[in-house]
Amino acid sequence: MSRVYFSTWRSEQINNIGKSEDVWEESAYKLPQQYGEHGSAKAFIGWDGVALYDTDVDVVRLATEYAAQYQKYSEACGRCAPGRWGGRILYDLLDKIARGDGERDDITHLQDVSKNMQLTSKCEIGKTVPNPLLDLLEHFESDFLKCIDTKQPSKHYHQEIGYIAKITAPCMDACPAHVDIPAYIEGVRDLRFDDALIATRETMPLAHTCGRVCPHPCEDECRRVNLDEAVSIMALKRLGADYETDRGFSFFHPANPKEPNGKRVAIIGAGPAGLTTAYYLALEGVACDVYEELPVLGGEVAVGVPEYRMPIDKYNQDIDLVKDVGVNFITNTKVTADMMREIESEYDAVMVATGTRISKKVRCENERAEIEGYWSAIEMLDQINLYVKYGIGQDTDLSGKTVVCVGGGFTSMDVVRCAIRANASKVVMLYRRDEKTIIRNTTYEEYHEAVEEGVEFIFHSAVAKMEDEDNVLKSLLVDRFELVPDPDGGRAQLVKIEGDSFVLECDYLIPAVSQSADLDLLPEEWEIEMTSWATIKTNGKDYMTSRKGIFASGDCEYGPMTIVNAVGQAKRAASVMSRYVHTGEITLSDDEVMEDQLRRMRVYDKSEKISGYLPGMPRQSSEVLPTDIRKSNNQEVNFGLTQEQAISESERCMRCYYIAMVAS
Amino acid sequence: MNKINFKLDGIDVEASSDETILSVARRVGLYIPTMCYLKKTTPSASCRLCVVEVEGVDGMILSCQAKPTQDISVTTNSEALIKERTNIMKLYSVNHPLECGVCDKSGECDLQNKTAEFGIDQQSFSAKDQYREVKEWGLLGYNPSLCIMCEKCTHVCNEIIGDDAIEIEYGGYSSTITPKGSDTLDCTFCGECIAVCPVGALTSSDFHYRANSWELTKVPSTCPHCSAGCALEYEVKNSHGGEKIYRVVNDYEHTTLCGAGRFGFDYIADGSKDEMKLQSAVDAIKGAKAIRFSSQISNEEALMLQKIKEQQGLKLFNEDARVYSKFTTPFSSLATREDVKSSDAILILGSRISSDNPAIRYAITEASRHRGASVVNLHPIEDALMQNVITQFVKYEAGSEEGVMALLVQRLVCDVDDATKRYLDSLDDGYLSAESNFGEDELDEIAAMLSRKESRVIILGADLLSHPRAENIAVLASLLQRYAGFKVLVVASQINTVGVSLICDLDLDDKSIDGTVGYGMPAEFTISYDDSADLQVAPLSQQEGTVVTLDHQLLPLNVAVEFNGYVLNDIANILGIGKRDTVDFTSELPQSAGFKSTAFDLLENFYQHDGLDTRGYFIDQTESGANSTLEDIEDLAEFNGTVIYRCDEVLQFNALTAKCAALGADSALVGSAQFAVAARVSDGDLITITSAGTDRVREFKLDNTLKGTIALEPMVDREPLSLLGRYRYEKVTITKGSCDE
Repeated sequence: MSRVYFSTWRSEQINNIGKSEDVWEESAYKLPQQYGEHGSAKAFIGWDGVALYDTDVDVVRLATEYAAQYQKYSEACGRCAPGRWGGRILYDLLDKIARGDGERDDITHLQDVSKNMQLTSKCEIGKTVPNPLLDLLEHFESDFLKCIDTKQPSKHYHQEIGYIAKITAPCMDACPAHVDIPAYIEGVRDLRFDDALIATRETMPLAHTCGRVCPHPCEDECRRVNLDEAVSIMALKRLGADYETDRGFSFFHPANPKEPNGKRVAIIGAGPAGLTTAYYLALEGVACDVYEELPVLGGEVAVGVPEYRMPIDKYNQDIDLVKDVGVNFITNTKVTADMMREIESEYDAVMVATGTRISKKVRCENERAEIEGYWSAIEMLDQINLYVKYGIGQDTDLSGKTVVCVGGGFTSMDVVRCAIRANASKVVMLYRRDEKTIIRNTTYEEYHEAVEEGVEFIFHSAVAKMEDEDNVLKSLLVDRFELVPDPDGGRAQLVKIEGDSFVLECDYLIPAVSQSADLDLLPEEWEIEMTSWATIKTNGKDYMTSRKGIFASGDCEYGPMTIVNAVGQAKRAASVMSRYVHTGEITLSDDEVMEDQLRRMRVYDKSEKISGYLPGMPRQSSEVLPTDIRKSNNQEVNFGLTQEQAISESERCMRCYYIAMVAS
Repeated sequence: MNKINFKLDGIDVEASSDETILSVARRVGLYIPTMCYLKKTTPSASCRLCVVEVEGVDGMILSCQAKPTQDISVTTNSEALIKERTNIMKLYSVNHPLECGVCDKSGECDLQNKTAEFGIDQQSFSAKDQYREVKEWGLLGYNPSLCIMCEKCTHVCNEIIGDDAIEIEYGGYSSTITPKGSDTLDCTFCGECIAVCPVGALTSSDFHYRANSWELTKVPSTCPHCSAGCALEYEVKNSHGGEKIYRVVNDYEHTTLCGAGRFGFDYIADGSKDEMKLQSAVDAIKGAKAIRFSSQISNEEALMLQKIKEQQGLKLFNEDARVYSKFTTPFSSLATREDVKSSDAILILGSRISSDNPAIRYAITEASRHRGASVVNLHPIEDALMQNVITQFVKYEAGSEEGVMALLVQRLVCDVDDATKRYLDSLDDGYLSAESNFGEDELDEIAAMLSRKESRVIILGADLLSHPRAENIAVLASLLQRYAGFKVLVVASQINTVGVSLICDLDLDDKSIDGTVGYGMPAEFTISYDDSADLQVAPLSQQEGTVVTLDHQLLPLNVAVEFNGYVLNDIANILGIGKRDTVDFTSELPQSAGFKSTAFDLLENFYQHDGLDTRGYFIDQTESGANSTLEDIEDLAEFNGTVIYRCDEVLQFNALTAKCAALGADSALVGSAQFAVAARVSDGDLITITSAGTDRVREFKLDNTLKGTIALEPMVDREPLSLLGRYRYEKVTITKGSCDE
């Protein structure tokens, strides 16, 4: 809910003009009302309408400035005739009216050009820029006519008014790293894969990784869903990265790294969050030392995500990208509290990005770590991945063994599919909820590939007790549950079915229900604030902890979450830190404030009706390695889209760029 | 392939799964206007003129990009569509400079045509004008004020040529085309961007402001510079008393031309008639033991030479065509550039293809860009120009081609006959691998890549044809054709290498015979297009006739500019075997070799609107039936010390291209920093290169894009006889300074 004076946002028509403030009708949307970090906005104008918060807004000027922003930002576009020239003409005509030189014919021209842009522009930015302008022309016609007829400038034409604009898109908004998705898809469509990759790397250094194993929240908020199916956004990311790697190009960076500025940052943990922090700080000229406990770089993506999903040679490309900008890595070094105290004094800022590397218990009777056969998911995946990917340690052979995993998320899928590849004779996944939920928690492909490979899923089940003989696991007592709808309409409850429990003989129980953070490295006296989930607390905007200069991002901040979430947090944190190391102040840029406000409002509108595109173009899906070949080895399962599929898929993208703008 | 049925303006039509609404419309003859559409590239979708309406679908649909779905009903023309298209044309006209009177494009300008078509005769709104600097980029110029940002140029440069040398600098209203990542244009100067420019924004610097399009007469012909035989049109105009070629253009919708074809035409000769000289040529032939000739001649000339051979009982020497003929014998058929374009896996062996044959390079670029083809380049020297298409580079040792081919065959063939199996099993792959430096890992990578590929092509280059073991290499390669699903493309070196090989019964030229007449080649009596020859005859661009390209397509040549001297037919007539005109021989080309009896005047030379190639005809490839046997592989040759690779610059092919001012032939030896250190030379040094008893003085130029220890030496300026029968790599000694000093 937002307090507004006037709003045409989405389909609402709120007009409090002339009404007393206490009877003002409110907007149903969480509209951006902040102007920069500390100011409040008087108006918000965007692709889907306009909202005025203040009675004194100069709407003619507002319209002109919005058209001007389109001009300014059209470097994101400028790629079609109606947008390129139409946008310029809109601005020239509006400014002509606003400065008092307009004529009545100009309104007609404005409407003609607007309609042409709405109907024929290449991307949504060109199609939607006229929307709020036409709203203003309709509802505030008299203000425009007054300028024209009196040949006077609009009321605040010569005043200093600030405007902050931002380009967004539903997918960019939904992506935790806010990757410029339409730009990288356009790169694929134009067969300019280097451009595609550079667009990705503006905010996402792990292009190989997030082109393979991202759960792609962007695809849930892809506007194409409103027409047929989401664009295969994630898979298209891989094209640019593969282009660079396959052809042996040196790295395409989004910008040349700045000269070293003498500032130093320590980063604890070389996983996605640590790598991302280091990459963007290094581009800003900050010297980065990354401390890593393991002998290898990459964090959970390296030792958690299996080779068949994320080949290490590809991940190493992403890591080498970070090395290429001069980041220094110190491996085999577990940072202790003592070291942290030293590090704090030596560096200008510190990023804690240690992830969550402790497997949580399944909470059953007799759950004791000393029982042989009780094996935490993290330890199991460490052992397998270190051997498969780096030849460190020993090979894992589960021949003749029965493996039971309790989970339901990505980690548990990795466990069961690795167990199959380690030749286990039987692999069972116990999950408390149903098939639909496991697919929602992971992906459709992931679940079905596991089923094809022979994993047995038992839904609505949970381990009640571990049975051992002399501390050797023998079997599990498994309870069954049913979903009982809440008569009051609340969430359905899982209720144990009495008498339906059964015994499952097994050699291993692998808990993969969740992980928690090991934060012993934080000196106690720092009294760093924690969340109720025992992760490091920040405000989720600047990622500074309760201790000045100490930042946190990734899973140790959020709890076990996705790679792209870690990247998004770390990218933002790197931006804040790049300023902090110089000024000692924690600030967000105007762009970042807008980014957060837009996310709060949500750019994607699932009820919007799409026009200008033909529905029914099928989404392309990658070919995968046949089950009988893949289940016995670690070859990458997913071949990625073929070039023809990728081009076809990229043509489904509707380039849903929008401009949002607030006025001071 | 699933077919889609739908309605276009009420007509039932059928589309294949990769066709767009626009392509179906064009195919069935329905007009939808476009400004940015170029059939051979992905759509840039910038002009938006091609919007159509679909029943039941909101808004306007972009037909160049949208593929039809089953049962939709499309309207290509309506009042609403015309209105929006007209509005777009109004936008296009805003601030477009009114300089049609002097613009190079005037008269054939898409903007001019469409503005007239939509009746835009006044401007009801405007935008603030801006200053835009005109750019000079070597052979081309760019005027951003005239540019309509259709993006055709950037698309062809990236998707068809592969230079990827220009890009769009985004800036909305001030968007512009700019050299990629640089202030100056660094490209191979094919000029295809000029060809596709719909307005006068990109122009040829030499042609700029020299003529209006309507003053020029088009002469459709075939480019004579390399074996690809690309279609081109000479545009000629009569000025200052004589006809001159003003420029060369191409039907860019369906063909692509490299810079040699486009800019290399100023070698034209006037010619003169001196009966004494003609008679002395006839006498020379009568007294000759052999005629040595080049492959830069027409089929008709080749046939006349063959008839002279039969009549005079002399020998015919053309090592280029003879070697090609022997090399291609083991193959059941040869691939074309179209096969390359539609392939998804390409191996290149023994060629620096970017300069050997740009047309094949373009086909590779298309396969890479449009089909995602994997491209493996096997060669001793890496080619930076091809980096954006090559997915695997295999560096082998110069001289070891036979070993490389054997290893490829051993690894890639399956289900071979017993004899072949025994042969392959007996190969000493350890030795071959060690000597060639072609490792197991590299073979594994190739095999893994091929496992998911269905359309495989191997391109065999001039290094192999000139190799002392060429014949066995060819027999080995034929196993890839037979047992590994490869199509084979052999890079013929000159415009009519293939034609000559089909027409003439050639003898081995060991240079030992005295009493030779040269035809386009040096000999005791030389007949050639060069004005220093004993008798000057017309070059190919000034003759009628036909040639056979590497695609085995017979194509017509037309007279760009009249030649006032003699042609071979004049000699043939004196000898009593001539005809009224040279092209009277066209219908008599040997049908046993695959030629048809079609008369010259019945040969077409254009592409239909739907892209159908009507030019000339395709030669029936007759299976040789020759039973080739595999020979044991003895020791592989080793090349140590200072080694050069005979390789011309991009756009240089022969003495004619070397003469063209626009192509600026450079005679320098070009080497890497590593080569410079090893050979103890530095950039700019004057050096003497000695090999096999010949010396030549050149400048040394350091090229930082080159790697390795082998330098590139031009061949266009080398004495052709000294190169006869010689492998492309040479051990040389290099001394600083010229030997005269």
